[in-house]
Amino acid sequence: MAGRRALFLVRLVRAGRPLDRTDDLPRRVTNEATIVLGQRKLLQRLVPGLMHAAIFWGFIVLFPTIVMAAIGAVDRGATLPWLGAQGWYMAMVDAFVLAVLAGIVVAVWIRKVVRPRRFEGSHLGEADLILALIALVVLTLLGWHASRIAAGLNEWPAHASFLSNWVSTVIPAPRVLDRVFVWAHLCVILTFLCYLPYSKHLHIATAAVNVFFSRTRRRGRLEPLRFDVPESEMRFGAGTVRDLTWKEMVDAFSCTECGRCQDVCPAYATGKVLSPKLVIMGVRDQLFAEGPDLLAGEALKPIAGNGVPEEMIWDCVTCGACVHECPVSIEHIDHIVDLRRDLVMMQSSFPSEAESMLRDVERVGNPWGKPQGDRESWAEGLGVRVVQEGEPAPEILYWVGCAAAYDERARVAAESTVKLLQRAGVDFAILGARESCTGDPARRMGNEYVFQAYAEQNVATLNESGVTKIVASCPHCLNSLGNEYPDFGGRYEVMHHTQLLAELVRDGKLEPAKSETEITYHDSCYLARHNDVAVEPRELVAAVGKPVEMAKHGKRTFCCGAGGAHMWMEERGQPINEERVRQAAETGAETLAVACPFCTVMLDDGVRSSGRQLRVVDVSTLLVESLED
Amino acid sequence: MTVVVFMESPDDELSRQALTLAQSLDGDVQAVTVDGPYAPAAWAKAIVEAAGDADVVGPGSDRGNEVLAHVAAQLDLPFAANVTEVRGDELTRIRWGGTLLEEARLHAPRRLLTAAPFAFPPLSVESTQSRVLTPELDGAVAVVDHVAPDTGGKVSLADAKVVVSGGRGVGSAEGFAILEELAALLDAAVGCSRVVTSAGWRPHTDQVGQTGTKVSPDLYIACGISGATQHIAGCKGAKKLLAINADREATIFAHADYAVVGDLHEIVPAITAELRKARSS
Repeated sequence: MAGRRALFLVRLVRAGRPLDRTDDLPRRVTNEATIVLGQRKLLQRLVPGLMHAAIFWGFIVLFPTIVMAAIGAVDRGATLPWLGAQGWYMAMVDAFVLAVLAGIVVAVWIRKVVRPRRFEGSHLGEADLILALIALVVLTLLGWHASRIAAGLNEWPAHASFLSNWVSTVIPAPRVLDRVFVWAHLCVILTFLCYLPYSKHLHIATAAVNVFFSRTRRRGRLEPLRFDVPESEMRFGAGTVRDLTWKEMVDAFSCTECGRCQDVCPAYATGKVLSPKLVIMGVRDQLFAEGPDLLAGEALKPIAGNGVPEEMIWDCVTCGACVHECPVSIEHIDHIVDLRRDLVMMQSSFPSEAESMLRDVERVGNPWGKPQGDRESWAEGLGVRVVQEGEPAPEILYWVGCAAAYDERARVAAESTVKLLQRAGVDFAILGARESCTGDPARRMGNEYVFQAYAEQNVATLNESGVTKIVASCPHCLNSLGNEYPDFGGRYEVMHHTQLLAELVRDGKLEPAKSETEITYHDSCYLARHNDVAVEPRELVAAVGKPVEMAKHGKRTFCCGAGGAHMWMEERGQPINEERVRQAAETGAETLAVACPFCTVMLDDGVRSSGRQLRVVDVSTLLVESLED
Repeated sequence: MTVVVFMESPDDELSRQALTLAQSLDGDVQAVTVDGPYAPAAWAKAIVEAAGDADVVGPGSDRGNEVLAHVAAQLDLPFAANVTEVRGDELTRIRWGGTLLEEARLHAPRRLLTAAPFAFPPLSVESTQSRVLTPELDGAVAVVDHVAPDTGGKVSLADAKVVVSGGRGVGSAEGFAILEELAALLDAAVGCSRVVTSAGWRPHTDQVGQTGTKVSPDLYIACGISGATQHIAGCKGAKKLLAINADREATIFAHADYAVVGDLHEIVPAITAELRKARSS
C-alpha cells in the first residue's frame, strides 16, 4: 500500500514542470545538515522545537531497532550482528525512548492545553492519531526489550538498559510476552507506514528532499518565466495543478500544517483571508484529488477559486516571513506569484484598483504615471552628475528608484544620501531620465511580460554605460537589480545606501555625533529577510542615537504592508501599517527609523491615521542631521 | 497608390484629423466607415479586404488603435500608433504617455498608422470619396450594449467639471456637509482621499487617487488633503488645483495653482456664502 502510494507521488513529481535546483551543492549539503539534522528552523521556537527534535533525533537513533524487531520476530534468538549486543547502544535506545515520550507529552500539552492560534485550520484529529501511533511505537519497543530481559533473551548487558531493565522487574514474565510485544511493535510500524503517505506525516519522507532543493542564495529572486521556448513548453504561472513545478509539488507534500507561517503572516495577523498554510494545504489537497487526472492527461479545474480562494492570492505582501519560518523550507511566495501570473496574464482577473499601476508601469515606466522627464527634478540644485549616453560610468551608480524620484516623502532620503556621498567624496552619478521602473511591482503582481521588458531595457542601459557598482535606496530595486537582473545578463555589485554609508562611517569619512534620542529601526522585508542587510542600518542608528529593538526585527521583521505591489492596492480590514506602528510605539522610542521608501510612506501614513507621536525618518536623514548639529 | 482611412464616423473629430495625415501621404485617399455593432476583429477584416495593398490610416482613439492593431495582426505587418509626422517610411510618433517623441522607421511594404490626437487639423470627409463597409460578424466578438454606472442623479466623479474633495482635515463624515453644499452650488462632484474611505466617512466610490477614480476636471478643490503621491496620481489631470490646508508645509501646495492656508471649516463656508451673494446680485 505504502509502495503504491509512493509510486503515485513520484509519478506526480516527475510530471511537474521543470526547474533547475542542482547548483550550489555544498550549500545544499550544509542546509541538509543544519535544517534537517540540526533542526535549525524548528528551534527558532524553543519549546516546540525541542519537542520535535527529541522525537526526530529519537527516531534516528531508534531506526536500527526496527530491523532488530523484524529479525527478532522471525527468529527469537537472533538480532542485528554486533550492534544488537552493544550495551552503550541499548543505553542510548532507552534514553531516546524517554526523550520521545517526553516529546509526546510536550506535544500533547501544546496541542491540548496551550492551543496556539497557528493550528487554526489544521487537521487536529490527524495529528492526535499520529502522536498516538508514535507513542505506541516506542511503548511496544520498550515492552519488547523489557520482556526480553525478563525472559533472559537479551544479547546485551541488561544493566545498560536502565529503563527496560527496571520495567522488566515490574511486568509479569510469561514466556510469550516478548512475542506479543515484538509483533505488536511491527504491526504498529507497518500500520504507520501505510497511513503515513496519506497523511501530513508524509513530511518525514519529503521534508529532507524539500530542504535540499530549496533556494540557497538570491532568496528574493523569482524564477523567470521563459518566453523563448516552444509554446508547448511555455508556462504562464500556475492555472491548474498541471502547471506546478516539481518543487511546488514537493512543497505541498512536505507541509505538516504546523502553522508557523500563519503565525508570522502580517496579512493573517490583521484579519485578512490569507494564511500561507491554507494556500499550501489547498494546493496539496487539489493536487492529490486531481493527481490521477493529471497523470491521465484529463481536463483539470483551476487552482484559483477552487483549492485556493482568489482573495487569498491577492492578500499576500510577498514579505517572505512564512518562507523564513517554515521548518521544511516550503517556498510559499513561488506558489502565490505563480497563481497571480495565471490570473493576470491568462485570465486578466485581478484587483481592479491595481490596473492603473500596471498600465502606468508599462506605459510611462513608473507606477504613478508621472512624466519620465520629471525623473531627475528632485536632484535640481544638488549638483548631482547625470550620466548621459556615451559618457564614462562613475565608480558608483546611484539607482534612485521611482518612489524617491516622484514621492515627496520618499525623496528626502535620496536628498540625504546624495549630501552624504558628496560630503564623503564618493564618485557617483545618477541615470536621470534613462532610469525606469525595475519592473518589480509588475512582477510581484504577476505581470511577468512587463517585468522582463523593463529588465531587458534597464540591463541594456546599465551595460552600455559600463556600470559595475550600484547603490540603491529602495530595497525592492536592490532586490531586482541584484537578485533578478543576472537572469537577464545584468551582473553588478549592488548595495543598499545604508551599507555604503556604514562603510563610510567605519572608514571615518563621515563622523556622526551621537544623540540621546531613542530610535527603533524597522527592517524592510526586502532588505533584511530577502537580502540579509540588517547589521549596517543598525550600525548607523547606533552611531546617531540610542537604539531600541521591536520584538519582531531582523530576519523576523513584520511588513509595513506595501510589498507584493500592495502599495497600489486597497486593503481590507485592519491595516498592516497601523499594526506595525503600534509595535514600534510599544518600544517607547520617539523615532521610527526606516531604510525603504515604501516603509517610509506606509509607516508615516500609519502614524498619522493612528494619531501617534512618532517621527518616521530614513536612516540617511538621521545621519545628515547628526552631522549638521 | 491608395490610402484607406478608417473613420469612426464622418464627423468624428479625431477621424477627420486622420484624414489630414492620410492626405500628406500622397496617394488617393479613400475614407471608410463601418456599419453595425463595434467588433474590432471583424471590422479589421473588412478593412483589410477593402484596402487591398493600400496604406491604412486610423484615428488615434481607443477604437482607432484597437482596429488598426487587429489590421496589423491579420496582415502580420508592423503598425505605428500616435504618429505626428510621416516622411516616406520614416515617422515621428508619441510614446511614453506623451512624454517622448520617437523617430522610427517602418520596415514594411505598406504603412499602417494612427494619427496622434490633435497633431493634425481636421478635414471634412466631403473632400474625399468615401464608402461604408458592412463586416461579417460571424465568429467575432461584438459589443452589444453599454451600461453606465448609476450615479444616483449626481454628476459622476470621472465626468465632473469641478470636484470638491476632502481629506483627513475634514475631520468626520458629518464634516463633508459643507463640501456637499459647495459642490451643489458648483454642480460639482464630491471626492475624497484614501484616509477618508479607510475611516469609513465616505464610500470607496468617492475616492480619488491611485487606487480610486482618476479625475480630470477643470477645477479640483482639495480641502484638508496633504497631497500624498497616491492622491496626486488621481487628480493630476485637473486643469487647475485649489488647495485649502491648515498646514503651510503640506505637499499639496507644491501641486496647487491656488493656495489658501487656513482652516477649511471656515474657508469652505465662506466661499459658499460669497458664491451665493454673487449669484443673487
